[in-house]
Amino acid sequence: MANQESDKFVTITVDGITARVPPGTLVIEAARQIGVMIPHFCYHPKLAPDANCRMCLVEIEKIPKLQTSCSTPVAEGMVVKSSVPNVEEARKSVLEFILANHPLDCPVCDQGGRCDLQDFSHEYTPTTGRFKELKRIFPKEYFSPLIETQMNRCIQCLRCVRYCDQVMDVQALAPSGRGTMTEIKHFSIHELDCEFCGGCVQICPVGAITSRLSMYDFRPWMLKRADTICTYCGDGCQITIQTKDNELIEVNSTHGAGRNNGDLCPRGYFGYHASVHADRLNHPLIRQQDGTYAEVTWEDALELIAERFSQIKLAHGADAFGGLITSRCTNEELYLFQKFMRVVLGTNRIDSSARYGHINGIQALRRVQGTHRWTVTYEDIVAADTLLLVGTNITETNPITGLKVKEAVKKQGAALITIESLLPIRGTISNITTLASHHVPVHPDYFGLAVLGLIKSVLEQGLATASLSERAPTFVQSIRSAVGKVPWETVERHLGLGRDTFVEAARTFSQAKRVIILAGQGVLRAPQGSDVVTNLLDLLILTGHHGRPGCGLGTLAEENNDQGAVEMGAVAEYLPGPSELGDQTARKNLSKIWGDEIPQSPGATLMDMLEEARTGRLKAMFIVGENPVATLPPQAKVEESLDGLEFLVCQELFLTETAKRAHVVLPACSYAEKDGTFTNTEGCVQSVRRAMEPIGESRPDWEVFSALSLLMGNPIEYGEAKEIFKEIRSAISGYGLLGPSATPPRIKDEVVDRYLQEGFKTDVEVRYAFEQENTQPDEMLTLASVQSLFHSGKFSTRAKGLLQIQASGFLNVNPVDATRLGLADGDPVRLSNTRGEATTKVKLLDRVPVGVAFFPEHFDQNIRGLFSLETDPQTRVPYFKLTRVRVDRMQEEIPGKG
Amino acid sequence: MPQYEKILLKNMEQPGYSGSLQDYERTGGYQALRKVLKGISPADVTDIVKNSGLRGRGGAGFPTGVKWSFVPKDHPGPKYLCCNADESEPGTFKDRQLMERDPHQLLEGMVLTCYAIGAQTGYIYIRGEFRLGATILERAIEEAKQAGYIGQNVLGSGLTANIYVHAGAGAYICGEETALLESLEGKRGMPRFKPPFPATHGLYQQPTVVNNVETLANIPHIVTRGAEWFASIGAPPRSTGTRIFCLSGHVKWPGNYEVPMGITFRELIFENGGGMRSDSKKLKGIIPGGASAAFFTEEHLDVKLDFESVAQAGSMLGSGGVTVMEEGTSMVWAAMRLMEFFYHESCGKCTPCREGSSWLLQTLQRIWARRGRAEDLDMLLDLCKNIEGRTICAFGDAEVAPVVSTLRYWRNEYEELIREAEVTRPAKGEIPVFTH
Repeated sequence: MANQESDKFVTITVDGITARVPPGTLVIEAARQIGVMIPHFCYHPKLAPDANCRMCLVEIEKIPKLQTSCSTPVAEGMVVKSSVPNVEEARKSVLEFILANHPLDCPVCDQGGRCDLQDFSHEYTPTTGRFKELKRIFPKEYFSPLIETQMNRCIQCLRCVRYCDQVMDVQALAPSGRGTMTEIKHFSIHELDCEFCGGCVQICPVGAITSRLSMYDFRPWMLKRADTICTYCGDGCQITIQTKDNELIEVNSTHGAGRNNGDLCPRGYFGYHASVHADRLNHPLIRQQDGTYAEVTWEDALELIAERFSQIKLAHGADAFGGLITSRCTNEELYLFQKFMRVVLGTNRIDSSARYGHINGIQALRRVQGTHRWTVTYEDIVAADTLLLVGTNITETNPITGLKVKEAVKKQGAALITIESLLPIRGTISNITTLASHHVPVHPDYFGLAVLGLIKSVLEQGLATASLSERAPTFVQSIRSAVGKVPWETVERHLGLGRDTFVEAARTFSQAKRVIILAGQGVLRAPQGSDVVTNLLDLLILTGHHGRPGCGLGTLAEENNDQGAVEMGAVAEYLPGPSELGDQTARKNLSKIWGDEIPQSPGATLMDMLEEARTGRLKAMFIVGENPVATLPPQAKVEESLDGLEFLVCQELFLTETAKRAHVVLPACSYAEKDGTFTNTEGCVQSVRRAMEPIGESRPDWEVFSALSLLMGNPIEYGEAKEIFKEIRSAISGYGLLGPSATPPRIKDEVVDRYLQEGFKTDVEVRYAFEQENTQPDEMLTLASVQSLFHSGKFSTRAKGLLQIQASGFLNVNPVDATRLGLADGDPVRLSNTRGEATTKVKLLDRVPVGVAFFPEHFDQNIRGLFSLETDPQTRVPYFKLTRVRVDRMQEEIPGKG
Repeated sequence: MPQYEKILLKNMEQPGYSGSLQDYERTGGYQALRKVLKGISPADVTDIVKNSGLRGRGGAGFPTGVKWSFVPKDHPGPKYLCCNADESEPGTFKDRQLMERDPHQLLEGMVLTCYAIGAQTGYIYIRGEFRLGATILERAIEEAKQAGYIGQNVLGSGLTANIYVHAGAGAYICGEETALLESLEGKRGMPRFKPPFPATHGLYQQPTVVNNVETLANIPHIVTRGAEWFASIGAPPRSTGTRIFCLSGHVKWPGNYEVPMGITFRELIFENGGGMRSDSKKLKGIIPGGASAAFFTEEHLDVKLDFESVAQAGSMLGSGGVTVMEEGTSMVWAAMRLMEFFYHESCGKCTPCREGSSWLLQTLQRIWARRGRAEDLDMLLDLCKNIEGRTICAFGDAEVAPVVSTLRYWRNEYEELIREAEVTRPAKGEIPVFTH
């Protein structure tokens, strides 16, 4: 074995140092491993070599001409020299050529101080230039509101163009012109319209492409850096927040760092201003008799809360309280919040925004395989040979997980099966279905039916693994008979696609070696969300992939700490762990750590709490960072519920619609102002670090819980967030390691066995049943409230950068529907159904399926009333993302929106 | 005018020869294909070409049969043949004539090559300006298809050889084989770094042979008349066969001359081309192989026109474009004019070529405008040294050739211009200098 291993390496000598590296390693990388930095511009480890800048030329023995080390793979016995006179002379000359036309406007260049060209010039060139001709000058052109180009600084290395194509799969940029007149441009006569991931800005080795958000605001050496984690989705990207005098200047990322490996999306790169918006609450507020708010001191506010909480507890008991916390908070805060609710107030009536869908996935995983986390990692996605995406719209919801999928397909040649509410048509942003080897386009309410079709096809083609029939004959039989009850005609009538669509996909899926399934918001936030995830796990089991190394199912979290919220026990049904409320061992263990009893009464989920508030059973609520008034549709009657409370406390960054109904509003810190940890969608626990001092008098949430506990006479005190993490470590498994790599749990075989023998029986008929619907009338469209790539929740609508890309909601419809309904781009339309009507404008979008309309949830204030609301009977998840609407062109313009 | 046996231009020089399929067949056309399909294996065809000593006529002169043999035999995917018809080298105009006047000769060569390398698809990447050539080729392909020489099941043999014409969009660099492939794939025409070579990773990353028009046109004749016959022509063993030299410049009879390799420049220019345009003027300089080749002087008139002799004398046989310049021509101006071309055509991929071409051109223009400086000449040579051999494709080497060679043979002309500049330049002290 050892011998075989060493056979797999080749010996290479760079500047006299010999090392053994894997074959195929590029000379430049081998040198880096040895410790020799070969200067380069166009080379980047993420990109295929292009060898255009000629900076990395080296001498290789036995090869007459100098070779580019970025494009030459190592060979056995290769001897490379990178600091001999002719190499140094070549380097100097390349720099001389580049500098010939470079404007040398370093004093006003935002890259100055962190510029490869500056650094290499400093190191390798003489101080006088021989170029005495006219420098090439490109006229200044407006590029985009967020990205600035200064083409005179460009060194034509094409890193930006290659990144945009190879990594992002967007192809927004291209070199234009020839020779020394080559400049980077975008394809259109309009301003740049792309994903705005900022990748071109970050990968530019010079100052040719820069961010307009921080233009001329800083010199790099003035900036204070803090590595932390982005809060705009569940991907858990490491970002570096850079500040100057407690002012947020810019955000960037580092290649090789974080789960994102240096890649970001528009929200991460351009969205950082949301947390420092002028509307931030600076002081605690107490509502006065006349409804106005008075700024008060923390002492006054906290004393009032403690007093009122104590009174209510005395009068109505512990279960008169309800707690709701956003899963954008840190683990420490989520943990402390539930501890506060359970220990200080004494109730299990607590919930978090993981209730909006993430809980669906976790419950299915726990039920079938006994884990609450993914059993796979991002690395497994990249290494997969087949991927199945269901309802993810991954580019817009989880863009960086999307990059892993793109890498698997584009670089590793993986097969991709997509069941998405998208048409495989290229647009200004990437579209994962254009990379699919098998694509099943469906309406957003039929993801479950499409999964059923896939399972049906697997069983019909005899692709189920043979051993399973012996291990769990009833399981296979039951599913076979259940899917048999849904004939292909039914599938075809609803999906518009029949048996043939699934044949190849089922075969590819079954025959794969490393399979990853990713289920997204389309599944998790729609009726039967948990059932569809369970069925997808059934599919893994049926095809024999379940439990195999590198195979597994991941659910995509929408909020940055959805996963942590559940693991911290900030939901109605779980204690920290997560452990069932009734789990006696867990209760005993926890009470030992807490030194206090854990309440016996059952928990209550968000929808139940709202209901109880309406009926007067719930008297007080503590809402942290959540805004149910603006999130749930009007028929949830959240306002009515909250207004009926005796006492409502909101802890918030802004005076939101919900906070406006509170008796006391406490100003909380944003993620940039506090320490802690987040657990990302794949279960990786990562550090959040304070990048700036708290704004105004705002405090981290956990400090508030701690202070309140003190005032209520049941102190749970910590000196800093780290101390809470220490306690989390002892209470919850999977929190021992903090770091860059995910350590996924193993599936529990005994749980799988139990599921296969008995567990599945309880609902297999229901899960695979399909209630036939009348097909929708022609004039009705299926309206889905979806996530935009450029926003996250309502929070990002305060980010000035993102608002420059997208400032309002549009009804996205397919041009075919638009023609049918007589609509043109920009037309004002009236949406109506039995619940009411709303007005908006139309924007045509090719990738929207015919018969479907998308509206970004971030701007849904006006149209929220149209959506149906139903609550999952099992997981109590409220579903309010889908409806059907009539769309009519309005004759008159929408007032105030012209 | 001496007579040599012509191979490639033979048909078209017959009176009334229209280049139609009928005409081509009448002169023995497509017999080579019939012969091969009757029982010569692809490997044997490759061997015949190898043994003939045929070398590429596009510029680099790589042995054709050897190039073919690099194509993997057991490749599971498709293989491609690309005919490089992007003839753009200044002073070169032979491929155009071959395509316009005798298209089937090229097509037969392509089908034979497809057979030899196992390609089912051949593309003719033709220079965008050659509208006539493209039309003629397309018509010829249609004729050949009807007659069963091209397409599915060629002459009932089961061989598939589809041939398509693809017009370029006007970039000189697309004559470079890997830039040609990029352009053919629909991308911006810029060279790829090598290795890997097209023989293994060519069009769409599949094994691909790229051959010049003249090279391919030779194939039917080699197959019909045998490797030994071909190898006996010209200057064996390294430069076999004939070459079509495109004679232009200050000569009496410019034009295409197909002659055996190994005749001297003197024979080509004075016996074939009728000598200098003006009898009173002596020959001053020769571009021996297209604009990318270093200049020769009258001292090189007895150099033989074969690959080795020209290379030994310090230039290259290149594309076969021989441009003659008479006494009185300014070689600085000539170099500058060529540099304008290279500046315009540099694709911009590699730093030295991209930035160097504009620097060289500006310096030459300045010298020509009598604003040169004494240090310019050594700097020019230094810049050339920094471009040569440091770029992905041979363009970098090509753009410095005129500068280096004119400086080698006519440095005095540069110095004269600089002296004129010194005369008109204000002396030190005449320009007021700002001081605090």
